[in-house]
Formats: sequence, C-alpha cells, structure tokens
Amino acid sequence: MLKADNSLGIIFFPAFDWAISPTHPEREERLLYTQDQLREEGLFDIEGIREYKPEVACSEDIERVHFCFPEAEAIATRSHCISAGGAIKAAKLVMEGERKRAFALVRPPGHHAMKTVQGSRGFCAINIEAIMCEYIRENYGPKRIAIVDTDCHHGDGTQDVYWHDPDTLFISLHQDGRTLYPGTGFPKESGGPKALGRTVNIPLPPGTSDDGFMMVMEKAVMPILEDFKPDLIINSAGQDNHFTDPITNMNFSAQGYAALNSMLKPDIAVLEGGYAIQGALPYVNLGISLAMAGVDYSHVREPGFNPKALKESEEVMNYIATICEGVKDIYFNPPAKSSEGVVSGNWSVRHRNIFYDTEGFTESQTESLLLCENCRGLLKVETQREGGPMGFGLEIPAAACESCRNQGYSLLEEAQVKSRYRYIQLINRKDKDYLRYGF
Amino acid sequence: MLLLGIDVGGTHTDAVAIGPDGLEAQVKVATDHDNLLSSIRNSLGEIVRHTDPARIKQLNLSTTLSTNSIVEGNYEDVGVIVSAGPGLDPHSFMTCKDFHVIPGSLDHRGSETKRLDNLSLEEAIVSCRNAGIKVYAAVTKFSPRNPAHEKSIELAIGDNSDFTTLGHQLTGRLNFPRRISTAFYNCAVWRVFNKFADAIADTLDEMGLGQIKVNILKADGGTMPLDLSRKVPVQSIFSGPAASVMGIIALCNITHDSIIYDIGGTTTDIAIFAGGSPLIEQEGIHIGSHPTLVRALKVHSIGIGGDSAISMFNEKVRVGPNRLGPSIAFGGETPTLTDALIWKESCDCGNIERSKTGFTSFAAKNGLEPDELADQAIGYAVDKIHDSTRSLVDEINQQPVYTIHELLENRKIIPRKIYIMGGPAQAMKMDVFRKFRLSTEVPENYDVANAIGAALTRTTTELELFADTERGLMFIPSLGHRENVPRNYKLEDAEKDAMNHLLAHLGEMHVASDGSNAQITSSSSFNMVNGTSTVGRNIRVKCQIKPGVDRTYS
Repeated sequence: MLKADNSLGIIFFPAFDWAISPTHPEREERLLYTQDQLREEGLFDIEGIREYKPEVACSEDIERVHFCFPEAEAIATRSHCISAGGAIKAAKLVMEGERKRAFALVRPPGHHAMKTVQGSRGFCAINIEAIMCEYIRENYGPKRIAIVDTDCHHGDGTQDVYWHDPDTLFISLHQDGRTLYPGTGFPKESGGPKALGRTVNIPLPPGTSDDGFMMVMEKAVMPILEDFKPDLIINSAGQDNHFTDPITNMNFSAQGYAALNSMLKPDIAVLEGGYAIQGALPYVNLGISLAMAGVDYSHVREPGFNPKALKESEEVMNYIATICEGVKDIYFNPPAKSSEGVVSGNWSVRHRNIFYDTEGFTESQTESLLLCENCRGLLKVETQREGGPMGFGLEIPAAACESCRNQGYSLLEEAQVKSRYRYIQLINRKDKDYLRYGF
Repeated sequence: MLLLGIDVGGTHTDAVAIGPDGLEAQVKVATDHDNLLSSIRNSLGEIVRHTDPARIKQLNLSTTLSTNSIVEGNYEDVGVIVSAGPGLDPHSFMTCKDFHVIPGSLDHRGSETKRLDNLSLEEAIVSCRNAGIKVYAAVTKFSPRNPAHEKSIELAIGDNSDFTTLGHQLTGRLNFPRRISTAFYNCAVWRVFNKFADAIADTLDEMGLGQIKVNILKADGGTMPLDLSRKVPVQSIFSGPAASVMGIIALCNITHDSIIYDIGGTTTDIAIFAGGSPLIEQEGIHIGSHPTLVRALKVHSIGIGGDSAISMFNEKVRVGPNRLGPSIAFGGETPTLTDALIWKESCDCGNIERSKTGFTSFAAKNGLEPDELADQAIGYAVDKIHDSTRSLVDEINQQPVYTIHELLENRKIIPRKIYIMGGPAQAMKMDVFRKFRLSTEVPENYDVANAIGAALTRTTTELELFADTERGLMFIPSLGHRENVPRNYKLEDAEKDAMNHLLAHLGEMHVASDGSNAQITSSSSFNMVNGTSTVGRNIRVKCQIKPGVDRTYS
C-alpha cells in the first residue's frame, strides 16, 4: 500500500447542488470529474490521506474580514459559507496537528472578493483564504502568513484585503493584466504605505508554460519566501493556467502544477478558479494532492499533454527572467511611497470605483488609513453602491495602539451621530469586538 | 416450511431451523478448520434429525472458506492484467508476481485516450501461460465507464483461462486499486470455492435435500444464490459479522440509532445502526494486505472478548488484546475477562471453583484484592468498548457529504440504544449499561443469533447506472448492460431503468421480490456544458435491495 510522506487532509466539497447559473463556468459539474478521478485513483486509500467534511463559516467569520454591505447574510449564500468553512476546516486540521497539510477542494472560489463587499466579482463573493487566515489569527494567535496565488487571474481581492497588512505577504502569479480579467496585478502595486513590498505581483505573458513558472518559483518566489520567513504558507490554488482552460491563455500543465507545489510546500492549499473541468481539473487536482502528500506524481498526465508543443520561446523566458529580477527588487527594496492613494493630513486616502462584473454594478469607495507611528493604523472605508445607501466600515487592527483604538471608537460614535450612513460596521480585532448598525 | 441457517464460525458452527412459529432446532458443533464441509455436514445432520427434511425450503450458509483461504495465503496463482493510463503508478498496486501493466487508457467519461497495446498484451499472456496460470483478472482504469479494454483483454486471454474476472463486472463503483485487488481475490479463491460449492451440492443430494435453495451470505448483510456465488466467491468474505448483525435485526425490533455488540471469545464486533438500518462501509472491506470493493456492513472489531487475558502493566490492570488460552474456568492458566465476570457472579459457566481459586491467587500475586482486580478488569474492558464506540460514531459523523443540502441537514448519529449478543452478553449487560447509561438489551437466543440471522437474511444486490446523454449512452457495469438512450433521457428515466434492471436481475437469480425492498440510494444529474450551451446530462443512479431479514423472528 502507498503511504504519504506528509499526512494530508482533503476537504472535498463540490457543492453538487449549487451554481451561479446552469451554463456559468462555475457550475455543479465543475468538480464532478475531479471526484471521479480521485475516487478511481483510490487517493483516499493512501495511508496518510484522509477526506474531511467542511464546516460552515458563520457571519462572524466573514465580518471579521470583510466590510459587508448591507450585511454578510445578504452577500454570502450557503454555498459560499460552506466553501469558506472548508478552508477553515483545512486550517484547523493543520493548526491542531491532526494533519501536516490540507487541501480545501471547494467551490465557489474567493480571491476576487475585496475588503469591502457589496456583491459578487469574478465568481467570488467572499474571500475564503482571507476568512481562513483571519480565523487562524483569531484562534491561534498572531502569525506571519504568506499567500501565494497561482490562479491565472490576478488575486485582486486578496491583494486588497491585505494591502495594509505587513504581516501578510501576498504573491500573485498571473496572466498579464493587459490581457485578462481583472486587468490589475502589476509590479508597481506593491502594498499600502504601512506594508510596502508585502504585495508582490508577477504578471506573466500569455503562453507561459512549465519552465516559465518554475523559473518564477526559483528566481523570485522562493527567495522572497525565504526572507519573509512565514509561519504558514497558503496556496491559492487556481488551476486556470492550464493549457486547456477555456477562459485564459496560459500553457501550464498538471505536471507543472504538481512540481510547483512540491517546491512551494504549502501548509494549506485552497482551490480557486479552473474551468477546464474535463481535461485539466481532474489531473491538476490529483497532481497537487499527490505533491502535497509527497507521493510520486510522475505518472499524472492529462490527455493531449505535449511538453514540446507547450514550451515557451527563449524570448519569453528572457522576458520572464527580467520580471523576476524586477519583482524581487520591489520586495527587497520597496519604494518609499505606495503607488496608490494620497496623503491628506495624517491619513492616506484612496478613491476607487470597483466594478462587480458578476452582478453588473459599480461601487464607489473612499478608503483611508491612519498613518500611525506605533501600529499598522486604523482603517476606515466609506462606500456606496450606485444608487444605493452609504456604508461605513472601520477596522481596528489586532496590534492597534491605544490611541488608534480610542480614535476608532470616537469615529464610530461620530458616524452614528451624524447619521450620514445607512450601514456601519466595526471590526475591532484588538478586543474581538464586532459591531454592526443599520438596516 | 423451514428456513435453515448455518454460520461457520472460528470456534463453533451454529445451525438453526426456523419454522413459521419460531426456532424448531438449534445445534452447535465444533468447527474443524481443515474440513469445513464436515462441520457443515455434522450440523446439518443434527438439524435434519430433529426436523422433517421435506419441510426444508432454503439453506443460508455463512462460511469462512474464502476469508481463511485469503488470510492464510492458501490460494492459486492469478494472472493480473491491468491497464492504467495516467495517474498513480499501477505497480504500486501489484497484488502478485504475475502482474502485467499494459499501455492504454480511458478517461473519466470512458473515452479512449490511448489504444490498448496488443503486443504487450500478447507478451503478458504468454508469460502467464508459461508460469502455469489458469485464472486471470483483467482490470482497466475507468472500466465502469467503458468496459471495452477489459473485454479486449478477456478476448485475448481466450482459452488460456479456466476463469476470468473482469473488473467492471464486480461493481460499478470507482476505485481502480480496489478493483484490482477485488478481481485478484475473486480469481484466487475461485477454484477452492467452487470445489466447496460442489461438495455442498453433493452433500445435500446425499442427504436427500437436493431440491432446497442454497444461498451464501455476503458481508453486506445479504445473501446470493449458490450459483451466482460461484462467479463472485469474493463476495462471501467476512460474512460472519454480517450474520450476527442480521441476527440482531431478526431478534429485536430496532428503530433508533443504535449500537450493536457481538462479544465473542477474542474480539468484540461493534456495528452501528442509523434509525433501523445497519450502516454500510462506504468503500469496501480490507482483507489480506489490500482494501477491496466488497460491500460490507460497517463493523469495527476490537481485541476484547471473554477469553481476553488479564495482565498487569505499570500496576494497572489490562484486558486483551491477547488471548493466552482459555479461561481458568475452562482449564486455562491465565485469568480472563470471563473469570473476572465469574468472580463478580455475573456469569455462571465452566468450573466456577477452579476459576475463583486461580483468580484469587493471580490477584494476590499482584497485591490486589480479587474484587478490586475483577472490577478493574471489567472496567477496563468496558472502557475500551466505550472509547472505540465513541470514536467509531465520531468517524461516521465526520464522513464527507457533497451537497449543501446534505451538509446543512447534518444528520448525526446519536445512539439511543445498545443491543448485545455473543457468549458474555448477559454477563456484561449491567456493566455496559452503567458505562453508557443507555437502554441495553440482550435478546433471547443471543448465543445462536448469528445462525438465526443467516437463516432469515434476504437476497440482496446493488447496481450503478451511468448515463451520458451527450453520447446517447446508458450503462450498468455490473450487469454488463449497455444501451442507447435518447438525448432527452432524464434522471427519472434513469431511476426507473435502474430499478427495473435491479428487479429483473433478481428474477434471473430466481429470487422473487415485490420491489418493496428495492431503493434508490443515490441519484444525480449534471448538465454538461460546452462553451455556453448545455450539450447533455451526466446521470448517475445507484440502487439496491436493502439488506435485511425476510421476516423478524419473535
């Protein structure tokens, strides 16, 4: 019988009774063939690999991370709560030592969900990785966490959630935003004023294949991780870089995904996108599971795999090498000033319009960070969905100084008295005080 | 009209005859492991002497033959020919020396992604023939979705084989490594099982019982007709625990979530009921060094039984998991759980005086009062049983589900009643009750419950139906049935077809079933989308004849 080098917990939740719409790429069928493949391979008979049931994330788990307007229950369907709960289960297995590693093979995904959510973007409503990470910090103490997002789309949501957090390193490998949704994820986006260099964006040219990805891992990702010394490595395991994916243009393979995982050695992986549900997902998911467990994956091959035909040109490899140098420099020598926002008094302020493509509306938002000398700073958000009421969010970080904490509560009081906002949400991580007003 | 049940156990072979008004005869004879047939013949002889042979309608037999043959490695060489394609290295699942991997592959929808390599196949068969192989197992990955490659292998083997098992015929459930081992075991015990089946038939003829219907017990708590069992002898493994569980069903009216204990000499078997139904192992049972796809009741065995030795470890009293000979009451040297129960006067068996003397001197040697020793020993045993049960129930409640509906419904098993059978059942009843504080019942005839269970168990079968309307195909792997379906074939059609085939299959086995025990266990339909249009439906239906007894005995 086969035995895993690393014990692995797999939370497999295909949500066979949920879809955005019957023909939407993110539909019931999405994990069907993966299930067939994992079952047929006898994956769960390998000693050390076990399947678990997800938990259900509650509103508090969501509202610990997101400013939800009007409220978490209105944004997240049951299947979103289970998907986030699957990630939480993965975290628990690892944090409590029941498993060395865990893979949450759940749907729907979450990495396009930003700090403030008013609806669904890019098939995502709530950020399941972020909900998991903050669950970990809330229950197992402060942790340095590195999130490596290998989805083909830029993880703009996760970037936004951790924009101001110096304890979270967010690295996103994705197809160049000039050629793909959501159109962001350039190296100059390197974090907010208190977390410069903690966001690392690596845009890759269309057609990047196994060699290109491995070069990025070796030349950029691994050296940065080595320096950051995270307590936990999380892989946002989007699988749409696959050469058969219908909505992207990359040339990555199942072997490549497995090799990447073998090098990254994530403690926890969480499934993100991936819509080649027949030709790629079954093999990529199998490859990643085997790589995480430390079981030989060299026989995993998807139909039509021809490494020679997929290989990128020397020109492309050179271009990728240049990008690697560039992004490494941004991490090791971060710019003095954030690429986004202006300083107004002692606040760093950015105004944004965010388009919710799944639902088709725009949110306009003003986010301000108090530039504090002693802590990460108080964060406030004013937000309005077009034609909708105003919402106000306030976050006191876990390691907030007394002054920021007090200022947080006086701003909250002021916001209530002025009654300019229909909804107000307070996230006080320091005292675990979570409040919501309005209806 | 009489129904006979024979359970060939590790120590005893139990046999009963059940008539319309209840138990008409019961026998217990010692099992002769070197000659199971003689044990069966002896018990049958006793039964026939006490009843009217003309009234016998049916004999249900639970035998350890296949199990023992596998566990002891006493089986013939098998040529295993597999084709795997991409995934785990098939050599990781090598079951025997004549194991051949042939290039070729199918994907999860049954499409051929690589042709079977005929040249390698020929070489493999020649190699097996030269090794003197006479039985073959052919297993290809995803054969339950398309048996073409397995059939090609069968065709190529041709006359070289006395018997060939094709993976897809065993079950439609997916699990390639388990399908390999199941097919392998099926071939390995085929000859020895068939000889046994011949001998049973001859014995019955000799006894003038040639007309009665003979069924073999399966591990899932059902039976299969003797003729069918000749082709799938692997299904008869581990039918012993199933017989006990069926016995409890026959003897008690179980309606709640319950725990069933069969406390034997060396082990206690634990089974769990959800509502009134026993739980089935999700995948299949483990035997030898390989897990299989043989469907079985979920039964967990722990090393605590009446004959479990009492020992001291770090000044603490322990019981089991070893058995060091019989209890002192029955001539042994080391005190056992039974001796502890005798000391506490919970149990009255064997040589009481000898037991008590031995028990006292063991206690004295370890600086304990005999009462203390007995309490601690029984306490230890009950704790072990309790802890194992708790973790078994937790494990069951942790089992994955795949839909939001199932997850939110969150059907948890919360046992409300305990049923105990087996030798020490009566003696342990109060101790178990004190530990669990749950209503605890020991049925009458608990000592032959397994044979009663065997006698009354109904014939069961299960099948999986798989349809792919994009291809216009419907397929039932275990029956080898494949037919074209229209593009508008729906889940309801599939459910109806599955049930019809299930009942028809029972008919072919000459089993009458009114269909009331047939049930759909899972069914799902997925839209298959290409681009933005629905191109078909992927439909899966599983149905079964519910394991259970034909009637309860009361």
